[in-house]
Amino acid sequence: MTVTPLPARAEQTPVFDLEKVLASIDTMAAQRPVAAQIVSVANQDDTSAKELSRILASDVALASRVMKLANSAYFGMRGRVTSLQFAVTVVGFTTVRTMATVALTELDDESRLPEDFWDVTTSLALASSALAPRFGERPQDALCIGLLAQMGAALLHHNDPVGYAEVTAEHADFTQRRVAELRRYGINSLRLTAVALEQWGFPHSMTSRLNQVDDFTSLEGGLLRSAFEVAARLTVEDYDTVPVVRLSCGQLREDDLVPVLDQVRADADELRRAMLAD
Amino acid sequence: MSVTISVPDGERVPPEIVASVFYSATVSDNLALVVAESVGSRTRLTWGNVGAVELLGYGLDDLRALPVDHLFPTLGGGELKLLLRRERSARMTLPVRTASGATIEAVVTTTPAPTGRMWTIRIVSTTSEQERALRATADAHERRFSTLTERSPVPTLLSEQGMRLAHVNDAFCTLVGRQAEQLLGTGWIETVHEDDLDGVIEQVSAALDGEEVETQARLLREDGSVRTTVIRFAHLFTPGVGAGFVGTIEDITDRLAFEAQLAHQANHDPLTGLPNRTLLAQYVAARFTPGSSGLACLFLDLDNFKVVNDSLGHTAGDELLTEVADRLAAAVRPGDLVARFGGDEFVVVCENVDQAAAVALAERISVELARPVRLGGVDVRPYASVGVTVQTVEHVTAEELIRDCDIAMYQAKAGGKGRITVLDQRAREEARDKLRLVAELRDAIERREITLLYQPIFSTADGSPVAVESLARWNHADRGAISPAVFIPLAEESGLIAGLGLLVLDETCRQLAEWDRLMGWAAPARANVNVSALQLDQNLPPQVGEALERHGLDPSRISIEITESALMKDPDSAREVLHQLRELGVELAIDDFGTGYSSLAYLRHLPVNCLKVDRSFVAELAHGHTEIPSAVIALASSLGLSTVAEGVETPEQAAELTRMGVTYLQGFSLSQPLTGGHAAAWFAAHGDRTR
Repeated sequence: MTVTPLPARAEQTPVFDLEKVLASIDTMAAQRPVAAQIVSVANQDDTSAKELSRILASDVALASRVMKLANSAYFGMRGRVTSLQFAVTVVGFTTVRTMATVALTELDDESRLPEDFWDVTTSLALASSALAPRFGERPQDALCIGLLAQMGAALLHHNDPVGYAEVTAEHADFTQRRVAELRRYGINSLRLTAVALEQWGFPHSMTSRLNQVDDFTSLEGGLLRSAFEVAARLTVEDYDTVPVVRLSCGQLREDDLVPVLDQVRADADELRRAMLAD
Repeated sequence: MSVTISVPDGERVPPEIVASVFYSATVSDNLALVVAESVGSRTRLTWGNVGAVELLGYGLDDLRALPVDHLFPTLGGGELKLLLRRERSARMTLPVRTASGATIEAVVTTTPAPTGRMWTIRIVSTTSEQERALRATADAHERRFSTLTERSPVPTLLSEQGMRLAHVNDAFCTLVGRQAEQLLGTGWIETVHEDDLDGVIEQVSAALDGEEVETQARLLREDGSVRTTVIRFAHLFTPGVGAGFVGTIEDITDRLAFEAQLAHQANHDPLTGLPNRTLLAQYVAARFTPGSSGLACLFLDLDNFKVVNDSLGHTAGDELLTEVADRLAAAVRPGDLVARFGGDEFVVVCENVDQAAAVALAERISVELARPVRLGGVDVRPYASVGVTVQTVEHVTAEELIRDCDIAMYQAKAGGKGRITVLDQRAREEARDKLRLVAELRDAIERREITLLYQPIFSTADGSPVAVESLARWNHADRGAISPAVFIPLAEESGLIAGLGLLVLDETCRQLAEWDRLMGWAAPARANVNVSALQLDQNLPPQVGEALERHGLDPSRISIEITESALMKDPDSAREVLHQLRELGVELAIDDFGTGYSSLAYLRHLPVNCLKVDRSFVAELAHGHTEIPSAVIALASSLGLSTVAEGVETPEQAAELTRMGVTYLQGFSLSQPLTGGHAAAWFAAHGDRTR
């Protein structure tokens, strides 16, 4: 990882305490005990759909989102999913866990999020899922990591709304924005996401992708990097495209992105509705 | 292992660290354990266990002075704080730098002391031998699995989540003519026929729920063609991930086509390709609703087909049938069914027509058929007789409709060839009545309502009664007495003759036995039982034997009467049966002798005892024609056979026949047929034991 020297402290308002941010996640978890429980049990080997749906049933809002997602076009079940247990089976444990994490970190409260957060996130997640097979990754895990990738950005925004708004306003390009984040907070948003997810026991195989996005030589970071490019093309006005061949370490050509862009556009609204439904 | 913990001045090592150290140290030397302490702005290691020394490659002394950030090169900036948290333990997977400068991937877990300035750090290499071996095994498994499915000729799907696919093999791509990328995720759903998709989703649901299921579904190929398949789904469970499925697909398109071909062959005539009688019955039954109207059947029979077959050969006959089939198919309205009923018979079924329209169609068909066909250099006009029936309220079943148009066709034929006949009410009534009568006859036989009368037979030698002939009578509850001339042919046509014959045989034997019991020696010596041509088979001798045995009678008490025409149907077989009957000991008589064409040579080889002179010859005596009776009697005499003259109605006839030398007489003038009871009384009065 490239170590960017910290700017002189004098230039920055010393508002940001990383420890405090991380501690705040623990506080959030305490406020959403059901979601926290799901995050902790969903990756255990002996967890069953029955057990997970039993816990999930006590968080009505979260349960209804899982149902909605299970019946969305993404899973192709066409409204056949009528029980919560079956919904858990259809979307998979990692997705349930991801949705619980979204609830836990209050990513479902748009008033507390950076502008365009969910537009970017749904595009990122769907693009990541669609491109995953080209990188030998599980589309499902790719969807989840795409849904959670911007959690760090939300945390930064939450703890420094004014400052983070400046960062986003100044840097529409995600790569440049991450450099700015590092400069301002000593950590970029993806790295912060990775740390938090690792803390909650998300598998390293998922979190490591976040750490490798900015290493342009890393094929493993290529998927999310390309997905960010798709998201930027779909959500950023007057975006200067970056050749996807370079971003994907040669795995993708521009032609490959055409169907992906269409598919992401088609599915984004439905995914957003499922993730934010009440 | 020795454990030394450096204790900074004025501070005690927190007990949880000591506990953690000792616990971990005893668990495994593979587990590297170091203690870090923050002093001022710097955080350094203050201790490490043997595992740490081995893993990191530093001497214990060097380790003790090492800044913590030196171990974790990727934690730049302020990120060390993420690992060494003051309030809670933290866990990261990250590269750890060893003394050589190389990095190893490890899971690092830190636990802070309550002071927030000291941490135990556990470092577990993710690249330990054991892990590598496990991963290698897992990778090998995965490779084997993917090779297996990749190369497998069985189209295979592997789910990711829900209906989403993570993997399809080449065989599946080939089956649907698309590339894997188009099929992964939910892309493959587009290959499932819209009408079958619900079923597929239902079965996928069941498979995700743990069942093994299968469903038939049509898959659409990229080129627009359709393959019919059976998809079998098996449940897959991955711990920590959830449920999925493996789907294997069997393409049954060709098999179904073959089955359809077989089904077509079973229901179609191979020569003309038209539906056969079976399909016709199904077709009419499917469209027949009792009480409604509008369904019509046209029954066509070619008038000159036999001539064509006999004169021009079967190939020409087949050609004619094929041509007729083509003309019929072209002449009928779209939606009408043309079926080959059999031989040169065809049936056309129309819906939504009245009688006028059906007749108009029949006329059009007749005209169309009558155009010349050139067969073997000869122009042939295939005229047809057509029977037409339109459904009425009186048609209760579909078969009746077909049967009625068959009857109409026979009427058309009877009225002269090349005609069209609509089945009239009277003909329909007659046909119905006959059917009802058959049913009633069946019941009458079952209930033994067919009764027997016995007509005495007299010896010309002394005028005494020597035997009786059993005559079946049917006294119908509503219709009154029904003539044997009606019900016996009816029984023969409808397959009831066997049952009727058995009834007559058994009842005659029973009556003989009863007479014996009542009258002793005065009982009739013998009873003649008539047997139909249809009964004359290998079953008859045992049946006769059983009846005699059942009633305890000597075989000589029975004489079996067989008509001359019955014997001539299959002479060889008849002779065989007669021999068996003779062996039993029963007597045999040839009934209606002189009406057939039996050769004398043949007669000579039959083991018969008696010839019966037909009543028509006896009647002729009144007109002075004595030639045939006298010839028959003389013939019988020369062959050593006895003779019975039937239908003797006057004393003059009796005298004349006696004079000619006939052995026995039977007739109305001598005695009417009697019931069993009356016969007993009659024999008691006139009888003379002549056995």
